Amino acid sequence: MTRPQQQDTKSSRRLANERIIVPVAHQLRVAGALSVASGLIWPAQAGALAWAISGWVMGEMNRTNIAALFFVLGGLLSAHLKRAAGAYLFDAADQTIARERAALISREARARAGISSAEIAALAVQKLPLLQPWITRYHVAMMRVSILPVVLLAVTFWFSWAAGLVLLVTGPLIPVFMALVGMAAEEASRRQMVEVGTMNAMLMDRLSAMLDIRLLGAIDRASAEFEERAEALRVKTMAVLRVAFLSSTVLELFSAIGVAMIAVFVGFTLLGEITFGSWETPLGLGEGLFLLLIAPEFFQSFRDLAAAWHDRAAGLSVMAELEELDAVERVAFLGAARATAPLSGPISLELCGAAVAYSERILPLPNFKLNAGESVALVGPSGAGKSTTLEAIAGLVPLALGHITVCGETLDEDKADAWRARIALIPQKPHFSDQRLRHWLDPDADEADLWGALTLAEADRIVARLPDGLDTHLGETGGGVSGGEARRLMVARAVLSGRELILADEPTADLDPETAALVIASLKRLKDAGHSLIVATHDPAVFGAMDATVKVKP
Amino acid sequence: MKSLLPIIRLLLTAEPKSMVRGAALSVIVLLMGAALLGLSGWFITATGIAGLAGIGIAFDVFRPSAGVRFLALGRTAARYGERLLTHDATLRALAALRVSLLRRQVGLDARALVRLRGEAELTRIISDVDALDGVILRLFLPGLAALVTHLIVFLMLGWLAGWAVASAVLVGYVPFAAFVFWRLARQSVVPSGQSESQAQALRRGIIDMIRDRQALILRARIAKREDDMLSLDGSSRKMMRALDLSDRNAAAALSILTAAVTGLALMVGAALVARGAINPATGAIGVFVALALAEALPPLARGVADYGKMTGAAERIGHAPKTMPETTAKSHAKLDAPVLTIDTPNLTLRLDVGEAAALTGPSGGGKTSLLMQVTGMAASDGILIFGTRPDELSESALREIVTMVPQRSALIAGSIRENLSLSGGTGDEEMWQALAAVALDGVLRARGGLETQLGEGGTGLSGGQARRLTLARALLRKPKLLLLDEPTEGLDDATATLVLSGIRKASPDAAILATLHRSVDHPVFDISKKLNISR
Repeated sequence: MTRPQQQDTKSSRRLANERIIVPVAHQLRVAGALSVASGLIWPAQAGALAWAISGWVMGEMNRTNIAALFFVLGGLLSAHLKRAAGAYLFDAADQTIARERAALISREARARAGISSAEIAALAVQKLPLLQPWITRYHVAMMRVSILPVVLLAVTFWFSWAAGLVLLVTGPLIPVFMALVGMAAEEASRRQMVEVGTMNAMLMDRLSAMLDIRLLGAIDRASAEFEERAEALRVKTMAVLRVAFLSSTVLELFSAIGVAMIAVFVGFTLLGEITFGSWETPLGLGEGLFLLLIAPEFFQSFRDLAAAWHDRAAGLSVMAELEELDAVERVAFLGAARATAPLSGPISLELCGAAVAYSERILPLPNFKLNAGESVALVGPSGAGKSTTLEAIAGLVPLALGHITVCGETLDEDKADAWRARIALIPQKPHFSDQRLRHWLDPDADEADLWGALTLAEADRIVARLPDGLDTHLGETGGGVSGGEARRLMVARAVLSGRELILADEPTADLDPETAALVIASLKRLKDAGHSLIVATHDPAVFGAMDATVKVKP
Repeated sequence: MKSLLPIIRLLLTAEPKSMVRGAALSVIVLLMGAALLGLSGWFITATGIAGLAGIGIAFDVFRPSAGVRFLALGRTAARYGERLLTHDATLRALAALRVSLLRRQVGLDARALVRLRGEAELTRIISDVDALDGVILRLFLPGLAALVTHLIVFLMLGWLAGWAVASAVLVGYVPFAAFVFWRLARQSVVPSGQSESQAQALRRGIIDMIRDRQALILRARIAKREDDMLSLDGSSRKMMRALDLSDRNAAAALSILTAAVTGLALMVGAALVARGAINPATGAIGVFVALALAEALPPLARGVADYGKMTGAAERIGHAPKTMPETTAKSHAKLDAPVLTIDTPNLTLRLDVGEAAALTGPSGGGKTSLLMQVTGMAASDGILIFGTRPDELSESALREIVTMVPQRSALIAGSIRENLSLSGGTGDEEMWQALAAVALDGVLRARGGLETQLGEGGTGLSGGQARRLTLARALLRKPKLLLLDEPTEGLDDATATLVLSGIRKASPDAAILATLHRSVDHPVFDISKKLNISR
């Protein structure tokens, strides 16, 4: 790793810390204190056990009941302290995840990045919860490790410097080793995160194209490809686990060796075979048992920290993805898309020298004017920018040059919502949400309105034919009805919106001549009722029916 | 529970050897842990007694201390092996399960396939499968290991330290721990299942929101949708909170249980020692073993808390979609027969090699359904491909002969090359030929050639360009029968003519059947038929 990269990771870690940990620092501190307090009870419990058992040897059996009671009460207290600490930790994590998720959702709604919807959903739902173990475990583990081992070490030294020395030597090796493992862990979990996203995106894509895949006889190829991704995810997950298992094994090894050394040392001392290692008063049975009981706890805090280190690595790699997403270039639409009072005055529209920055090139839009009740056809070859012109008029893409005047005002951030309240857009590609047809058409309309609009759009018979009628769930791109039928449903939807200016992208693209004529007639009916129309089209029948034709040149 | 059984069987049988070894090791880990602490406690107490009695020299220190070291190292190694084996076996089984869930879509009929909602299937294949990883790792194995360990420990402890101590440990732990787990399962089954299904609804909702974004903005509803998502998140997190509470309660109960059982072992041990039934060192074993056995419980608690989530996921996965009946009698195509004959009440048509037919009829008149029948994705009465009913041909044989470009043909994210490659492995030159046939070569050469990247669902191309790319993709299949559903949709007349004659020229030997509503009298077509409506 080169130096600048190192600094990069350092500063990004600091940023991640500021974003995730600092806001909940208070809860973490309280939880840490409770957890440390609970940890401090163990030496007392261990003392009680050792005191009782050493009493057995000396014939003092009456110690047992007191010690047992003390031990159980200690356990009770310690359990409650831990439980209370957990409540603070859950709050801290919950608060963080809620905040980050809300930010993610509202940003994707407002300014779309060119990243797969499935990947974003995976980040919000599948990966953000990985911040929880980092928040709940790492900082508490840090706090415990900075207090408990020191206390236990001091107590051990109090009884025997040799036993203390064993702990002192084996203990600090753990953080050193952990730091080494930590780097590998972070890299491995970053790769795993990326793979999770890739698999999600790919799967979503293939599922959307399932019919084509089947028709192309590509089922085997597609599932082989997916198998490769699923297998890659397994390999990357195993890589993360292997590092985690290996590090915890090594730590367990240190701990086991430490405890075994203490046990053997104490045993030999008690036999009188070892005479060094204790202070003036030789080690008794009680002290020996006590040392044996607290030694595992000494290592446990280090092992907890090591486990939490992996949680932190996973959390940091989620953060890296979040930050990457922050940095992505986005196209924001104008306005906030909140329900607002519509712009006042009669509909009017003028495009003047407008141009859109579109995938690294400037796409000029045609100059034209439209007044209330007029209809305009945008014609031009495929890819000339007809759809983009409609999008710019709807305030869905910002202008790079020139301006669009709507109802006498410049279309900008402040006016976009009010302007959009007066227009409806019929897109070229149908998209049906996963909801009942009646809610998709208009959640607020009553039965009569719905059927009226469907009739106007020549779509009433389509719905009547569906087995579930208005309660049908259609496929994402309108599966369940034909292309022409999907188009007519979208016209009905635009009619139901009650907007005055209707933008239509290729409204007759897949309608047969008879139905197309009916749709054109219905568009004309809208126009007669005072609506204005802008239609992007190839269809001579459509632009023949409009008042004016605007050529869009590539 | 019933829904989990097939999953348990699936996960256990995927890599049975690893699973059996892993299970054995997980018992060994717990046993060695108990033995380690028990032996250490006994060792120290015994040495203490020997030291007091002044018979230290006679005490055999080497075997116990070697035992302590062996147990310490052995337990560590066993744990590493157990984790690696069981996790790997589980992840392998789950990866295979994902693929088989995807493949399950294959058997869907045309109707189901066009209505398939990607985001719903996605959550099934991703989240539900993820939720199942704990079935073995956190529920089945820890439960089994804990039970087996307790039984073995009971026997060992009874033999070493007396049945009173052994019974205290067994009766103290097993029924009470079972009660804690039962309560945890009862309290968590609803929040756990709900939080998972709400998280999945959130995932689907986010995908839908992003994909439907434009319409939502125009209807000023995106803010509302956003609020819906946030409230979904809110209720999912509320469930998580309930789950966390029962989780913490169970954890506290288990650690209190450990303290109580250890205290009990101490008192029973003391009573036995006082009666002179055992010596103090043996009495200490029970206390230390009781402490060590605490290790068996927390891993199981996690699994139990996830029980609701797991059963929910297993049920969703278990719901197999309705698939078309597998054809039993597979026939072979007869190459001397006409490529396609249709003889139904609505249409009679015979198509020979190299012929092209245009089929017209009003929207909703059944043109698409007819094409789907020809592709064998719906019952195909009256239709013969090379003299054989399409639904009697095997899937692979059928796809070798017939390719169809559906009306709303989909593209995938990735390069143009990856999109074209869906039709099979072909060279660049062939790809360019196919692109030229649909008049797309010029546009793409100006942009980035075959490496031009498309976004999700093939965004980045205009409607007409996307249409032409799907046509080029079908041409690369070199089908004997090419079905085109509204191939000129979204194309202007000049481009449409160019594309149709390009397709005809690029596949001179193919029989082509296209549904059209315009250009019916196009010179490209030899035959023109109208589909009668009959209802």
